[in-house]
Amino acid sequence: MALTDKSKATKLWKKNLRKFCNNKLAMIGFICMIIITLACILAPVLTSYDPIKPDFAAITKAPSAEHLLGTDKLGRDVFARVLYGGRVSILVGVVGALAGSLIGAVLGAIAGYFGKWIDSLLIRISEVFQTFPNMILILLMVAILGQGLNNLLIVFSLTGWMTTFRMVRNEFLVLREETYVKVCEAFGMSRPAIMFKQILPNVLSPVIVATTVNVAGFILSEAGLSFIGVGVPSSVPTWGNILNAAKSLDVLANYWWLWVVPGVVISVFVLAVNFFGDGLRDVLDPKQQ
Amino acid sequence: MLKFTLKKLLQMIPMLLLISLLVFGALQMTGVDPISYMVSPDMAASAENLEALREQMGLNDPFFVRYFRWVGEMLRGEYGYSITTGSSIKTMLAQRLPATFELALWSLLLSTVIGVAIGIVSAIRQNGIIDYIGRFLAVIGQSIPQFFFGICMVQIFAIKMGILPTGNRMSATGEFTQAQHLILPVVTTTISMCAVLMRYTRNNMLSVMNSDYVKTARSKGLPEWKVYFKHAFRNALRPVMVVLVFRLPLLISGSVVIESVFSWPGIGITITDAVVAGDYPVIMVTTVLVAAAMLIASFLVDVLTALLDPRVRLGE
Repeated sequence: MALTDKSKATKLWKKNLRKFCNNKLAMIGFICMIIITLACILAPVLTSYDPIKPDFAAITKAPSAEHLLGTDKLGRDVFARVLYGGRVSILVGVVGALAGSLIGAVLGAIAGYFGKWIDSLLIRISEVFQTFPNMILILLMVAILGQGLNNLLIVFSLTGWMTTFRMVRNEFLVLREETYVKVCEAFGMSRPAIMFKQILPNVLSPVIVATTVNVAGFILSEAGLSFIGVGVPSSVPTWGNILNAAKSLDVLANYWWLWVVPGVVISVFVLAVNFFGDGLRDVLDPKQQ
Repeated sequence: MLKFTLKKLLQMIPMLLLISLLVFGALQMTGVDPISYMVSPDMAASAENLEALREQMGLNDPFFVRYFRWVGEMLRGEYGYSITTGSSIKTMLAQRLPATFELALWSLLLSTVIGVAIGIVSAIRQNGIIDYIGRFLAVIGQSIPQFFFGICMVQIFAIKMGILPTGNRMSATGEFTQAQHLILPVVTTTISMCAVLMRYTRNNMLSVMNSDYVKTARSKGLPEWKVYFKHAFRNALRPVMVVLVFRLPLLISGSVVIESVFSWPGIGITITDAVVAGDYPVIMVTTVLVAAAMLIASFLVDVLTALLDPRVRLGE
């Protein structure tokens, strides 16, 4: 046992990294994700067009050297809109998933560690949330909070915590009986410290995987909501809002670049996130296969 | 068994009350005065008129009085009126619900048959061509937004080829039959629902096929088809059936967007329109009804699994 704890940890990390890199689909997914995200962040460098300002001199132009992916019915450059829209869509997905996981992990830790009535209460609340089909719950929340980008983030965080909550709670129920927890308690360590510093790191792997999958799910939800007109207000470009144009049959029949492009970009990005998530699961959480 | 059923049935009641209370309470808290949608601006100019109207509609009563009155009305089947269109919510539901059911039932039926079939074949011929195609389709089905897929179908089959209608449940001109109107929305919903079901059936079938009793059946020298269908399939089916009923939320969630793509006059569009317009009575009734439907479905799953697997009811 010449290895110290720390070098053991680095070794495991290196092994996991190697395992992940050997998974071709996961790597392709990861690279696609990075490329699309970077392109969206670097939007001002990649295009000089404004995604919001109409240009009535260039309405519904087909893709050309000047406008790589054409222009929409208000003369706005589709390439610029897809890039700037991606910023909002990816942000909504990532922030929604992270916030949902955070709420779920904290509530799950509390329910699982304290048990008794707190557990029953939180379980009941999560059941109420889960009774509604996801989209209906989101619509209900949008009706309560009103439409808007910030509100949508709140809605996604409030509707995305239940799976993580269940997962963390179940793990906590088992782990709180472990000897190391008893030892920490005997040493008089504070409860939050035991819960979040000692136990939580042990259940983080499945939470990370679930968060990744949720990013994909929320990006799809945002697209769907904005498509039907109750998501992000149409003044802000997002992938869903750009696709909203495809509700008109005229656009569908005559201007393919207005809907094929954002649709393909969403699909590729979500596919990439899903592949990446599958790869992460193989590495971090082998028993969940 | 009776005790188990009764217990599950009784558990639904507090849940429904809680959900309706939360929906009612939350929508009251929005602070949007329902009266503001209901009267024309020149009538709203007079504060007296507004106050009289408010009193007449019982909007000034305490919260719980209004809540219980609303629950009582719901139980008697009086769903009230839409505040944007003024039409009776009951008539609206009577028109819209069948459309959603029609779509849901066909999609459920088709996706089950196709999903389970491909799932079984993928498991029996693991790593074979069908398995690969199935897995590929499953990932694609989960990644392409359902509505984008729907749009593509409309573009190809309705606009380019012109062999199917672009939307609606019936055409005014009688150009297409009702069945033709069903094809595109059903296929769209089926494909995305198939994806999960396929994966689930395959994984279940695989784990059952690795179990001891299947090995025993094989070692007895039973023909392979008998092993698959008499021993493995029956046991793999139970969790699949559970998942099937849990597809229901997905189906309803999906219907919200899909109905919009195909202008299908169902409950999804009703809810969307109500959210956009802030039509609170409609939102309250529809969401509580959906929640009730979900509770009933999960109750049925519990009873069915208990019937099929005595361990479930004895464990309680």
